Amino acid sequence: MTDMSAHNNGRVPSGFAADIATDLASGRAADLAELYALNAVDDAERAAIEGYLASAPQAERAAFNERVRQARETLATSFTAEEEPPAGLLDRIMATLPAQAPAAVPATRPVQDPAAVPPVVARPVREASELPVTDELGAARKRRDERRRPQGMRNWLVGVAAAALIALGGVGVGAYVANLNDPLNQVLQAGDVRQATVDVTGGGTATVSVSPSKDAVVVEMNDVPAPPPGKVYQMWLIQKDGSAPVSQGLMDAEALSKPAVVEGIGSAAALGITVEPTGGSTSPTMPTVAAAPLGA
Amino acid sequence: MTALQANRRPVRGPAGGRSAGGASHDPRSAAGTLCLKVMETPNAPNPEVTAPPGTSADVNRRLGGLLEQIARGDQAAFAEFYELTSRRVFGMARRVLIDVELSEDTTQEVFLQVWQSAAKFNPEAGSPLAWLMTISHRRAVDKVRSSQSSTDREAKYGASSQDIDHDSVSDEVGSRLEAEAVVRCLDTLTDTQRESVRLAYYGGLTYREVAEKLNAAVPTIKSRIRDGLIRLKTCLGVS
Repeated sequence: MTDMSAHNNGRVPSGFAADIATDLASGRAADLAELYALNAVDDAERAAIEGYLASAPQAERAAFNERVRQARETLATSFTAEEEPPAGLLDRIMATLPAQAPAAVPATRPVQDPAAVPPVVARPVREASELPVTDELGAARKRRDERRRPQGMRNWLVGVAAAALIALGGVGVGAYVANLNDPLNQVLQAGDVRQATVDVTGGGTATVSVSPSKDAVVVEMNDVPAPPPGKVYQMWLIQKDGSAPVSQGLMDAEALSKPAVVEGIGSAAALGITVEPTGGSTSPTMPTVAAAPLGA
Repeated sequence: MTALQANRRPVRGPAGGRSAGGASHDPRSAAGTLCLKVMETPNAPNPEVTAPPGTSADVNRRLGGLLEQIARGDQAAFAEFYELTSRRVFGMARRVLIDVELSEDTTQEVFLQVWQSAAKFNPEAGSPLAWLMTISHRRAVDKVRSSQSSTDREAKYGASSQDIDHDSVSDEVGSRLEAEAVVRCLDTLTDTQRESVRLAYYGGLTYREVAEKLNAAVPTIKSRIRDGLIRLKTCLGVS
């Protein structure tokens, strides 16, 4: 990790690899910021970048976020196509506005047509650079470290075993599924996909659609309240061999409404979701709010 | 005329204009500084307050205030926010999605999200316009990728890019001077950088798809996109 950030500061002018995973592994995360801001990566790559950043050193994350911010400002200034929207659209939107939920109270998500919900992976760590590096935070991290392994790991696996499976079996493929090439749909339409729904502490459920052949799981949150202010949900893969859980990215209130694709589940026993400070944590804060088994 | 359209038929700025873009300035708002640079007036101490009406600095200031009101459930503020920005959101959705109904759906989703997420807007993390266009582009790209194959998208993008002349720049979302600065800065990119960035932005293509379309090596396209955006940022003085 330190090698990577050192390499990064010494910024190599070119030398992108063909794939994102290699770029990340060779310490080029910050150089992916412009591609990321431009949405020129696919969902799986976005997840890989976010997963990497979630456990990257703060300085590397901050450098990435700053470049993303600048790229977004640049795009908003430079690409300014305009077109008059259809008459009456504002009225139609106004007619559907849900009541504004007070910020502190978790709102129930409005019922949404699945077709209207684009497949998206956990949201970027946009706020990460704003993380106040305070003693309070350091203290919280220390407390977390103290109560982690081995006790934490054991709790986690107990939680997984106890998770109530509401549904298990073949998945009906939604009529809205359109594009076979989309990673999300590849998983949902795989012949061996199995689905399970587990309760989320605090309300709502999480549905996982697991496809061993695609080596991926689609996670969908249903009626899960927005994380408290200053917090995000973070997804983890719990490894079969008991090694440290691997972050799979963050979900803020916005990302909750969209399915997320987590790839590379072959070595994982379970998927866990925790509540973490904005920007994410390098290791999970126990207890999980949801955990779903991925095997068997 | 938008920057993009102008870019297709390059218009040179006034002589010497190119050198105006530089990273040495410290603009609180790129737009305000661009205007000041062009007018050769000293830097104002607080561009947010003194930004000329119609520039994006001015628009962003207004949008920021409206977002605070929207966060408190103010529907009139929401309607005003829509009036100021809906042409941008719908215009971008149309470039990416082509289809009018899909573009309308996307626009509706974007503004619903504005209503629901206004409280989360953080001015320190970016301008209101960048925040809005980030939401919009993401939605449009997600929708186009889930509804059309990349081949369709490329074909449609090709068709749409010849049919873009009816763009109009409103006074609210950018002054003429800003538009000229953008044209000038886009002109500092190489043709291949410009094309790669534009294909990704309005074509909704991934870097891989851009590489296929341009028959170029994947690492090359990644570099072009990165370098193109950084050069554009530097020229515009985005800080």
